[in-house]
Amino acid sequence: MSSESQLLIPLHVSYIKALGDNKDDLAYHMTTHLRMNAIYWGLTALCIMGHKEALDRQETIDFVMSCWDEDAGAFGAHPDHDAHILSTLSAIQILVTHDALDMIDVPRVAKYILSLQQPSGVFAGDSFGETDTRFIYCAVNALSLLGHLSDLDVEKTVSYIRRCKNFDGGFGARIGAESHAAQVFVCVAALAILDKLDEVDQQTLSWWLAERQLPNGGLNGRPEKLEDVCYSFWVLSSLSILNKISWIDSEKLTSFILSAQESENGGIADRPGDMPDVFHTHFGVAGLSLLGYPGLADLDPVYCMPADLIVSKGLRKSWKALERRTE
Amino acid sequence: MHGVKRVGQSKEALGAKKQREQAKIKDYLALTDDLLSRKKDKDWSKEAFDLTTRLLQVNPEFYTIWNYRRSIMLNGLFPPSSPEEINSLLASELSMTTAALKAHPKVYWIWNHRQWCLENVPEGPGQDGADFHGWRKANWDRELYVVEKMLDADARNFLAWNYRRYVLASMPIQRPKVSELTYTTRKIETNFSNFSAWHQRSKVYTSLWDSGSLDPIKCQEEEFELVRNAMYTDPNDQSVWMYHRWLVGSGKLYITVGALRQLNSTAL
Repeated sequence: MSSESQLLIPLHVSYIKALGDNKDDLAYHMTTHLRMNAIYWGLTALCIMGHKEALDRQETIDFVMSCWDEDAGAFGAHPDHDAHILSTLSAIQILVTHDALDMIDVPRVAKYILSLQQPSGVFAGDSFGETDTRFIYCAVNALSLLGHLSDLDVEKTVSYIRRCKNFDGGFGARIGAESHAAQVFVCVAALAILDKLDEVDQQTLSWWLAERQLPNGGLNGRPEKLEDVCYSFWVLSSLSILNKISWIDSEKLTSFILSAQESENGGIADRPGDMPDVFHTHFGVAGLSLLGYPGLADLDPVYCMPADLIVSKGLRKSWKALERRTE
Repeated sequence: MHGVKRVGQSKEALGAKKQREQAKIKDYLALTDDLLSRKKDKDWSKEAFDLTTRLLQVNPEFYTIWNYRRSIMLNGLFPPSSPEEINSLLASELSMTTAALKAHPKVYWIWNHRQWCLENVPEGPGQDGADFHGWRKANWDRELYVVEKMLDADARNFLAWNYRRYVLASMPIQRPKVSELTYTTRKIETNFSNFSAWHQRSKVYTSLWDSGSLDPIKCQEEEFELVRNAMYTDPNDQSVWMYHRWLVGSGKLYITVGALRQLNSTAL
């Protein structure tokens, strides 16, 4: 078997473990604005590969808490960075994964998130007001994990998502924006959490999602664009939620993801031959989990977290991934 | 990281690269620490503002520094300034981010900052008439020009399209909607495979038909002709088939309405 026909779990585990050791690398310091997300991506990928212990629990929790923004009542991406909904969701996901939500003032964080909802129903990313359907997903996911979903005005939120729906069944970042697989995921997953999947034109959207697969097996995010490993997750998660994951050629997609692995030092890239990073490593592993790849743990496509955790919190929605293969 | 090729480098080459980077890291971290502590101390000075320029030129993804920059303007630079000075400050802000955008066309924070700048352009220079919108009009016209340049460089950049829609929707003096139709025609004729332009076209038509500004039946005949040409050019391109699907779907509705109208007029 060539190295690229199987998932190189030990290499990817050591790749993720080593990410924190790159402090003599300029790129490490230039990416502090993504650090909280990066830890969530790394930790979740490790959980799915069965190596949650590879990142020290206490160190991780200490880092998350060091990013608390006391003025805002939420989390920034790095110590002394401003609170933002993107880093706040990642922080909550990390704390839930480590069963450490008791570290934070949950009602205060919920209040911060709710304060970002705009009159139209969309959420802003922070107090400076950029809006995007991504932030609706962050808010809905985070409020659900915090047990504060009942504080949300569901109809107002759903009405904004409804206005972002396009003729192709997909959703964009804002009203009028072109359908994009990642925006489809955030809208569909938010609707799933809110039990409002009847808002989705399921046949049309599943057709559009299935059309994302290219002859080389990879998936793109929009018509006539290049394939990219991260779309494996955006598209597959949406199809799992719509119970249509079999509309993709899973064998070809599995090979495509495996071919984007870096076989010397680990990590997965956007496509074969490119530099790996933790974002694509996480979404590649997540995609393989949904495709039933042997030896991986189940990933919940709605919350993008380990499935057993979501079940134990009583939050599981009715999605369906491919059955886990034994070899 | 997207589209960055993996290059095999020897241990020695990597070591030498890291060595060269150490001085840069030291400068970068010193500047970062300085700015984050000034921010904590609520330093709203011009000096701090200029330091944010330096840091953002190196790293335009540093959202906290964009936030700090806006706080400096709101709390330090705007209050003692006349509307004219605020307008020229924002204009130079837009110039600075134009350079940043060319190097980083997909950084959300830069687009976001431009939108914030536009929203803060004061009314003026005059009290009323055309002059009342003078500054805003000049800034909006320039934004439309910039976003067209960005879409010339990458016709599928969805951040640029989103920004374009924002600029068009918020123009102080609205352009006729038909001119956006002309723009999409131009983009599609340059490249039939540009689904972003087809998508925009479907939105513009829907709005023009719903408002009664254009006759759907007549438009649809012309659109089918355009679609047919595109299909002949590249039958395997998804963009045009997707648009065709929309055209057929939307057509039913308007053709039915049209047929009913005709029926009504015959009966009368």
